[in-house]
Amino acid sequence: MIEAIIVFSIFALLLGLVLGFSAKKFKVKGNPLVEQINSILPQTQCGQCTYAGCKPYAEAIAKGEAKINQCPPGGQEGVDALAELLNVDTLPLNEEHGETKPKHVVEIDEELCIGCTLCIQACPVDAILGASKVMTTVIASECTGCDLCIPVCPVDCIYLIDLKPSMDEYVPNMEKVTNV
Amino acid sequence: MITGKPILNTSNLMLQVIYGLILGVALQFYFFGWGVIYQITLALITGIAAEIIFLKIRKKSIDVIKDNSAALTAILLAISIPSIAPWWIVVLGTSFAIIFGKQLYGGLGSNPLNPAMLGYAFLLISFPLEMTRWTSSFLSFGEGLNVIFSSINIDALSSATRLEEAKFALMEGEVFNPIQIDQTVWINLGFLFGGVYLFYKKVITWQIPLSFLAGIIVMSALLMLVDSDHAMGPVFHLFHGATMLGAFFILTDPVSSSTTPRGRLIFGFLIGILVIIIRTYGSYPDGVAFAVLLLNIAVPLIDYYSKPKVFGR
Amino acid sequence: MSKHDFRGGVLIENPYPLNQLSVVEVPPPKKAIYLLKQREGASAKPKVKVGQKVKVGQVIAVSNNDYCVPMHSSISGVVSAIDDQPIAHSSGLKVPSISIESDGKDDWISLKGCGEEVDKCTPDEIIEKIRNAGIVGMGGAGFPAHVKIKGAQGAKTIIINATECDPATLCDDALMRKYPEEIIKGIEVLMYACQSQKAIIAVEEDKVDAIIKLNQTIKNKNICVEAVPIKYSTGAEKLLIKLLLDKVIPTGSFASSSGVLCQNIATVKAIYDAVVIGKPLVSRIVTVNGSALKNPSNYEVRIGSSFSDIVKKSKPSANPHEIRVGGMMMGVDVPDKNYSICKITSSIIVDEIKIKQKESACIRCSKCNEVCPINLLPQQLFWFCKSDNTKKASSYDLQDCIECGCCSYVCPSHIPLVEYFQYGKALVKKELREQELAAKSRERYEFKEFRLDRIKQERDKMMAEKKAALKAKMAKEKDNKAKIAEALKRVNDKKK
Repeated sequence: MIEAIIVFSIFALLLGLVLGFSAKKFKVKGNPLVEQINSILPQTQCGQCTYAGCKPYAEAIAKGEAKINQCPPGGQEGVDALAELLNVDTLPLNEEHGETKPKHVVEIDEELCIGCTLCIQACPVDAILGASKVMTTVIASECTGCDLCIPVCPVDCIYLIDLKPSMDEYVPNMEKVTNV
Repeated sequence: MITGKPILNTSNLMLQVIYGLILGVALQFYFFGWGVIYQITLALITGIAAEIIFLKIRKKSIDVIKDNSAALTAILLAISIPSIAPWWIVVLGTSFAIIFGKQLYGGLGSNPLNPAMLGYAFLLISFPLEMTRWTSSFLSFGEGLNVIFSSINIDALSSATRLEEAKFALMEGEVFNPIQIDQTVWINLGFLFGGVYLFYKKVITWQIPLSFLAGIIVMSALLMLVDSDHAMGPVFHLFHGATMLGAFFILTDPVSSSTTPRGRLIFGFLIGILVIIIRTYGSYPDGVAFAVLLLNIAVPLIDYYSKPKVFGR
Repeated sequence: MSKHDFRGGVLIENPYPLNQLSVVEVPPPKKAIYLLKQREGASAKPKVKVGQKVKVGQVIAVSNNDYCVPMHSSISGVVSAIDDQPIAHSSGLKVPSISIESDGKDDWISLKGCGEEVDKCTPDEIIEKIRNAGIVGMGGAGFPAHVKIKGAQGAKTIIINATECDPATLCDDALMRKYPEEIIKGIEVLMYACQSQKAIIAVEEDKVDAIIKLNQTIKNKNICVEAVPIKYSTGAEKLLIKLLLDKVIPTGSFASSSGVLCQNIATVKAIYDAVVIGKPLVSRIVTVNGSALKNPSNYEVRIGSSFSDIVKKSKPSANPHEIRVGGMMMGVDVPDKNYSICKITSSIIVDEIKIKQKESACIRCSKCNEVCPINLLPQQLFWFCKSDNTKKASSYDLQDCIECGCCSYVCPSHIPLVEYFQYGKALVKKELREQELAAKSRERYEFKEFRLDRIKQERDKMMAEKKAALKAKMAKEKDNKAKIAEALKRVNDKKK
């Protein structure tokens, strides 16, 4: 009886040491959670999730304050990816926050623009160029399509433009190719 | 390098395998009689019916039945089962193989385990008595029907297989002659011939059969050296039990076996070793089914670690 | 015959009855359409205006991008339109184009080349001439020739790829039989431009006439013809180098870094024209082949000619057709004949409509791996691409796939494996693009936050400084007031 207890205690001790050692030695040095969540978010910075941008939303998810299904630009795929990262059940995208729109950018009608600079302040990624009372324009390659500039424009001169499909960015449609 | 427009298509591939079986089956018929034919017929009917029903349930086109894979599974199972087993054995086994071995995983191509061997293992574990009674005499048309469909006492007909005989003989310390040409040897030679046909037709590759036979030879020779009381020797093992059927027709099921060239060598060799261990020390007479299923489970691992070297990397 | 070999490959016989086709010279077309984007990457910008008159060989579009060569008019006439026209690409998209209507004169610009004695020009001048002539790899990839040559300065060996690379394409054979002198001279130009010692012309062993013709023409002992086996996918650059020199070009690096330059034979002929005569690339040989044609042939046509005009010359049947551009193995299917010949159009295949084999389940038979010259595991990649698992597909080296189509060809389940891999590759590219974009906008978002914060801090600091200054001033004033008060008090006290 005593022997058994001693043997098992020593055994447990040894195993504990091994476990402790390996926990230190093989510690996973991953990104902090917020960074990982943020890297899944699409970085549109549209604020549809009710937070000021993607990073604040990531912080809120990490703290458990926000649900994972509040990001329309990320779409259902984004929600699924977040669920996988956080090891929780996935949720359907919450439509209260808007629906997933195809990728697009905006363009300012330079004839109508009055140079009020309101859109420049609204743009989360500084993709609008201009100054007070001069013509203002969008740098298309920097625009994330967050549409935050559209409501603030007093003369409604900002339009959505769908991105033109290009040969370089073409992804074949497998449904057409397969013949099952 | 492959010359000209090569194989055909998947259903033709399966058909070739069935052609390869013909000689072995003919020999089985010559030795055991009509029971063999009844078992195959029953299995074919059950297998195809089960496949059609499940394709309907899964709302898939029943055209898939034309790929001949259900037929192949049914035949392989039927010829592994003793020819005097009652009818419900083969019906149960084939439906289990098709339903649980294949359709529930998503049909052809998605099953991780060899369906025929899954059905066989299921039967062997559930009905060991019925599954180990073989006959040694030719059953006529009527006798075969009688044995399979009515519950007459078949003890008079049945006998142990050579594999079992050998095991008992060694256990009792009796003299046992490993080199004796009997029915099983002929049948094994028949399947060997069929295997060569498949190789000639480029339906199978050399890796799995050869490494499997190598595994059998190496392991049985090793046992001869260390444990000669139980060992039966390589020559005996090569031509008894389901060695040749396994080597060319069962292990080579492409879906559930390893898919890389090196992986196939490992896969076949390990099965060979396991078969000998099970035959020598296990409580079942033959071990091909269990060994195949065990290695089927290990296939993803084998494949992962046997990726070939890519050109330029 | 080469001693070396590469793994895999398939022996494919030409499915059409003719194994040798003559070359028919086609007169300049009435109208030509020039696509300004012929491969992935930048597209040239038009240099002409609608209504402008142009001569043959005149530059009509240019680009600043070194990977995009200029485009020349192949007919004389008037620019009739600058718009978007369809390109023979699986996307079915339209790309910017220039259309020219012929004036029927075939009026050329004046040509000025280096002449037969190329060593009067420096290698740099030659490379510049090649660039200005708008020469791209004419085997199908369309990589700019001058970029390749520039990168291969000092290359020990030059390999001239005359292996067609496709069982149904016969344009290289025709070229070798028609222009052996030009080809050999072109090779000498290339050897001079790269300062190379040796050139090997790789020709398939069944092209006997071409081999004899070339051997009769060669006077230079540093140039040799090597017959290579008729194994499909030999035409792939890295595989050909492995076959001839037993060298493996590592993934991600170019042949030039191993001291080898590989050029298509039609490109070499174009280089001859450009350097010796000074003629830009305005025509090429196109194989028109297929089961629906009475009269399959090779045509020497002007770039920009329409498919339907050329196909008509081969007398197609009246039935609806299946059309494939760029070879039976690696080409693309196009819905109709409303396309125009590009610099990379090596063949047009016009077939009667065949019943497409139904795709069935993959049984992991591994036939695809047996024929894969790169030794990939197509049976595994197929699953990953099908399930959009780009991470897994990349870890199985999807990017190394050369899309040769051997796997699709042998698949007993008729799975269009290459299409799946093209899809997988496009997905990987798309993901990378999105990641890049996301990283950029994240950076910009964070910078904006930082900027706003900095402005706020600066403003706060400025305000605080102002406040402090004001306070100090007020304190000083208070002090002064106190002093004044004190002085006043003293004065008052004195007065009392």
